Formats: sequence, structure tokens, C-alpha cells
Amino acid sequence: MAGFILKRLLQAVFVILAVTLIVAFAIRLSGDPAVMLAGGSNITEKDLQNIRQALGLERPFYVQYLDFLRGVLVGDFGRSFMGGTPVSLLISKALPATLLLAFASLLISIVLSVPLGVYAAVQRGRWPDQLIRILSLVGLSFPNFWLAIMLVLFFSITLGILPPSGMEGPESFVMPALTMGIILTATNVRLVRTSMLETLSQQYIMVARSKGLKDWVVLYKHALRNSAIPLVTYIGLQFGSLIGGIVIVERVFNWPGMGTLAFDAISARDYPVLQGSITVLALFIVLINLLVDIAYGLIDPRIRTE
Amino acid sequence: MKVSTTLRALGFTVAAALAPLAASQAQAAGTLTTAIALDPGSWDPIDTFVVDWSSAANNIFDGLTARGADMKLKPGLATSWEFLDNNSRIRFKLRENVKFHNGEPFNAEAVKFTFDRLLGDEGKKGPQQSNYTSIDHVEVVDANTVDFIMKQPDPVLLTKLAGYGAMIVPPQYIKEKGDDYFNSHPVGTGPFKFVSYEPKVSLTLEAFPEHWGGAPKLDKLVFRMIAEANTQIAELQAGRIDVATLIPFGLAPTVEKDPKLSLISITGPTVVALRLNTKNGITKDVNVRKALIMGIDRDAIIKAVLLGHGKPIASFQADLSFGYDPNLKPLPFDLAKAKQMLQQAGVQAGAPVKIDFRGNDATFREVAQAAAGFLQALGLKASLQPYETPVLLNDIIPNGKTDEAWHNAWGGWTFDYDNTAYLMYHSGEKWNPYDKDPKLDAMLEKQRSIYDVKEREKILQEIARYVADQALEIPLYNQNTIYGVNKRVKNFDAPADRRFRFTETSVE
Repeated sequence: MAGFILKRLLQAVFVILAVTLIVAFAIRLSGDPAVMLAGGSNITEKDLQNIRQALGLERPFYVQYLDFLRGVLVGDFGRSFMGGTPVSLLISKALPATLLLAFASLLISIVLSVPLGVYAAVQRGRWPDQLIRILSLVGLSFPNFWLAIMLVLFFSITLGILPPSGMEGPESFVMPALTMGIILTATNVRLVRTSMLETLSQQYIMVARSKGLKDWVVLYKHALRNSAIPLVTYIGLQFGSLIGGIVIVERVFNWPGMGTLAFDAISARDYPVLQGSITVLALFIVLINLLVDIAYGLIDPRIRTE
Repeated sequence: MKVSTTLRALGFTVAAALAPLAASQAQAAGTLTTAIALDPGSWDPIDTFVVDWSSAANNIFDGLTARGADMKLKPGLATSWEFLDNNSRIRFKLRENVKFHNGEPFNAEAVKFTFDRLLGDEGKKGPQQSNYTSIDHVEVVDANTVDFIMKQPDPVLLTKLAGYGAMIVPPQYIKEKGDDYFNSHPVGTGPFKFVSYEPKVSLTLEAFPEHWGGAPKLDKLVFRMIAEANTQIAELQAGRIDVATLIPFGLAPTVEKDPKLSLISITGPTVVALRLNTKNGITKDVNVRKALIMGIDRDAIIKAVLLGHGKPIASFQADLSFGYDPNLKPLPFDLAKAKQMLQQAGVQAGAPVKIDFRGNDATFREVAQAAAGFLQALGLKASLQPYETPVLLNDIIPNGKTDEAWHNAWGGWTFDYDNTAYLMYHSGEKWNPYDKDPKLDAMLEKQRSIYDVKEREKILQEIARYVADQALEIPLYNQNTIYGVNKRVKNFDAPADRRFRFTETSVE
């Protein structure tokens, strides 16, 4: 088992290295932070060189990259090109905002998709099942920014009960989490339904039913528990892609999270902020995958010897 | 109908459930909330060139001179100035009994400190130093007098002292607390003082009643950073911000129609043109260039794409700009004449004209499409080439890799044609990859050494006329600065350059 974990850890380190290298290289392909900082103003090449030097951009790429890696090891991501705020400070504020939003979205999606999925499975082939499946297809085809704008129009402008943007209190979570949650629900409903159908056809369910147990006990106590295993794995992995997909929603709702941070950093060619935020996000996703892998290995010995 | 009733009912149910949560509205008495697009990251005047910095920081800091929403230069922390020693020395008399927000006195030492810092190593790291390189150094004459020793003449200096890098900073405070601390805890002499700053979220200021210009009418200013135009407008409609600064032309009617809001559309600094390639392609010929100008109906573009929020231009400057000539009129739109000129110049039907533009500029994309439509009508083969902005600005233009025409947008806060014209038309400048015109160079250099306002204005007007004669570009329009403002805001003096000063403003 220790060997297995070590192997997975080494893989994770490799992935992180690759991600940081690609990001650091790609952002340098276009644009000049010094020019962005000057805002296209009356600036001579010499002044630009001074700025580049102050930002440490005159050094060869590998030096800049190694410097960044060294910083990561001690938790220092450098300073933003825009005003010199420490990147770790920006991330320490943005990461909790994004994680809270991601959890809220996941929660909404679970609360919606589990009962709907179970109901669809029970009603298999009948109209409620069809309806739920059609709705989930509609949900899947929604562009999330459109949904976000519709929610804002209705709740903030027509009714005036929810703040259209920002993270101020519990009420500001409603719309962004709902936007993400609804889109996740569309996939999760299908997953719950399939998984439930499979479980419901098992013999122990028939046994439970023949014992004369009430329907909901059979469904929620026996069937759901067993079909939950693939769900939990899937949702764990979904958490990673959820953080990736949160960028647009954060932007529309002006959410002070990692998505906004990374987006602004790209626009301003703010290398340290972009590298820092992508590294942290990658670490997060890799960590989740690692945990899932290890959990699999613990459950299923065959995976360990792979 | 049924669906909408159901939705509404559902909405009200949710509304009732959430009502206790929705307490935080921004309509607090005495507080004005403004949305800006970007967080400059630092509030130190020498660190940034972001307009949004000025929108907020113009309330924290003062310069030696000041410029209000009417764009007229007036005394700021200096009460008067005179030119000495053949204009190589400018003497400023400073306002007395002025204090910084931390209680530190404002005096000649503070001015010297500010400019030593701007022109020294600290300033070198930022984009502001280059604007002030005409100053050699600042000398203290007495506690309330300073001399600016000039390295070279700079007729735009007095304007430049009214903003950005020339804002006066407190020496003791910076020496004690350090630059980092100053970045996030700015102190100036302005009408509002710093309260709190949450990066990427908001900046809060409160009134500084001891300000030399009199106490502000408002108690508090909040600046929220909101990068998405739709979001700013939603916040404005929800009554949670009072001033929105990011209103695309297409969304202006939304603000206009809202009974709680007013749309303010005024002349702005930004001018837009299609610069023409004078080295390659059919645009080599000056008559062809003129024909292209005449073939594009600029009024129609302003009406259809900008929804009227702009006006035609004859040279690459706004009418607020120093050097603007009301007598210089743009070439008229005349399709028949344009066709005839093209024919005379021997241009074949279907000759290519490709327009390079900044691909992320949604408004200009429509403008470029319209312009291409007009060029097609001339019998030319017009096409569009979108670029990523930094690629266009740092590679395609300076290295002379453009097609026949390219997108230039410009908006200097100084409103002086000098800066624009020099960078655009002087030989060797990166915005001018093709033209080398000794006559133009001479005019551009000459006006830089002249402090006489009338004479300099005359030369700048000559330059504009010369450029128009050479048809170096297709001048398209000067686009308006647009604000969405809640009607509860009174005495809002809308500045063309987005450098707000909220001293006289109040809210109901």
C-alpha cells in the first residue's frame, strides 16, 4: 500500500510541475506586462525596460520559472505586477470565497438531484421520468451565464430581493450557487437515476420489498445507500471541474474568488497572480484526485497492483 | 401569461422567505457608491496608469495644479506659478496651512520628496516616471516655495501636475510606514481620506472636513470593483451603486429607460481612427487614402453603432483637446466622388483592403464591419483581421506588419494634441511604422519647446491640417464618456476623463 501511495504522489508532483510549466510558458507567449501597466501611454522603450527590470522580466525564462518554483516550496508566490500585493494574500482571500461557493453549489445540486433522480428511477418510463430527463437535458444545454443573467433580472431587478453581485452575506450566495447548482444537477440527476435503477434490480431489494418494508425505507435506506458509492466518487471528482467551471459565474456575479483573480490576471498579464492561482487550483484538483485514487486503492486491492 | 403568473407567484414566495436577508442596501444617507472596472492594486500615485485609479484617488490626493470637470486648469496645492530663467525654472508658491490626512504638514519638502521619489529609483519601477522626465529636479526655496528645474521644455507639464504621478504624497508617513504600507493605506491632502481597502472588492473613503477647499458634502465614498458591464448595470438598477462607469453603447438605452436612473453622455478623451499603410498596398497613394475616407459614412457609423454617443472628427483628437481646430472639417462622405478618385488612381476593382483591429473590442468589431461594408460598396475587397490587443500593439504595428488599415484608439487624459501627435506621426515612434516625414518631424519637435500658448496651438493646428492633407488615417469618431447615475445623486459634475472629484456632490 505504501508503494502505491508513493507512486500516486510522484505522479501528482509531476502533474503539478507540468501544469505550472505550461502556465508560466503560455502566458509569456503574448503581451508585455510593462506595456499593460503603462496603459498604452506615452512611454519610451527605455522606461519599459526599467519596468521590466523592476518586475524581473529581463531574466531568462528558466530563471524566472525556477524562482517561482522555489517560492512555491516555501509558500511565497511573489507579488502582483499590479500594485505589488503579495499573491499569497490575494489567494488567501479568493480561495475561501471560491470553495464556499463550490460547496454551496454542490449542496444545492445534491439536494435537488437525489430526490429527483430517485423519483425518476422509481417512475422509470412513465411521464415523471420523461419530464425529469427532458428537464435535465435542457439544464445541460443552458449556458450558465445566460441563466445567471436571468436570475439577476428576476431576483435583483424585478423583485429587488437579492444583491446582483458581490459576496456580502448569506443572501449573496443564492444566485451564484443556484446557477452552478442547476447545471450540476442536470448531470447528477441522470447519474442518480442510472445508479438507482441498477441497485433496484438487485436481489436484496426484492428481499427487502418482500419483507414488507415501506417503499421509502427500501428506497432511501437500502437502495440509495448502495447506489451512493459511485455517486460520492463522481461528486468528489466533480468538485475539481466545478472549480474550473466557476470562472464565468464568478465574473458575472463579481464574486471575489479564484476565477475572478485568474481572469483579471490574464487580462493584465499579471504573471505571478496567474501562476499562483493556477498552481493552487491545480494542487487542489490533484489532491482530490489523489484522495479518490487512494480511497479506491483501499477499497479495491486490484487497483493497487495495477 | 399562465407561466409568468406562476413564476411571479414563485418569486414572491421566495421573496417572502428571503426578505429578512435582504437588508444590506447601499442607499445609506451621505454615502456615494461608484463602480469602477479595475482594481489598480496599489493606491500609490507612481505605481499605475489605470484610469480607475484616478477615479478614486483623485479624491484622496491633490496636485500642485488641479483640473475640474470643465477641463480648465486652476490652482491646486500651488496658488500661483511663474516661469523664470528663460523658462528653465518654474517657481511655484504653495498653499499654506494645508495638512495631510495624518496631520503631517504640506510644504516645500513634501513637494521635493514627491518628485525625488517619482524621478528616482522608486519611480523607475512604475509607468509614471516617463511622463515627467522633462523635470530635472525640484529645489526648495523656502517652506512655501519650490522651483522646478527643467531638463527640457514641457508645455504640457502644468496639466500633468494635476494628476496621476504628480499627486503630492506625505514624506514622513512614507518614510515611517514604507512603500508597501502606503500602497494599501494611502494618505494625501485631498477632500476624502482613506478608511479601508479590500483588494479586488472595494475601497472606502470618508470626508476630510479640514480640506483646504472646504469640507465635502458627502460623508463617505465607496468604490466597488466590478469588471463586467452587465453586472455594473444590474447593481445600478438594483440601487446598490450610484454611479456606473462601464456602460457599453448597446446598454445605454437600458439605463436611459429606467425612471430611477439618468444616462450622462459627454465628450470623452477617446478618439478612434483607421490608420493607413503608406508603404504597401493601394493605400500608398494619397488620393486613394482620401477616397477611402470619403467612401466611409462616418455619421452613419456613429448613429448605428455608437447609438449617437460620439461625434465625427477631422484630426486624431477630441474637441476638448488643446490643438483642436474648429475650422478643420473632415472630408465629406461622397461615394460617387470616392469611386471616381479610385478610378483615376488606377485602382482595380476588387483590390484588397484589410483592416487589423483589436479583437476584444466588441464595439469596434461592429464599426470595422460597417467600414468594410462601405469599402465593398466602393468596389474594393474589404476584409477584417482581428488580433489579440497586445499582439497588435506590440508586434504588428511597431514592426510594420500591418495590412492596409489598422485600428487606432487613443485617449490621453491631458487633452493635449502634442502627446498624441508626436507618438503617432514622428519618425521612429512605435505607432508610426511607415512614415518618415522631415517636415512633420520638424513641426512636432518645434511645438515641444514653446510655452506660448497661442503659438503652440497654432503649430498643433498646422500639424493636424498637414496630417489630414496627407490622409495618414481615416478619422472615424470621438466617442463619448458615458455614466449611469442614480437620480438621488445631486451636483454630480461628470468629468470627461473619469477623474471624479466628489467634493460638491451629495445624495438624497
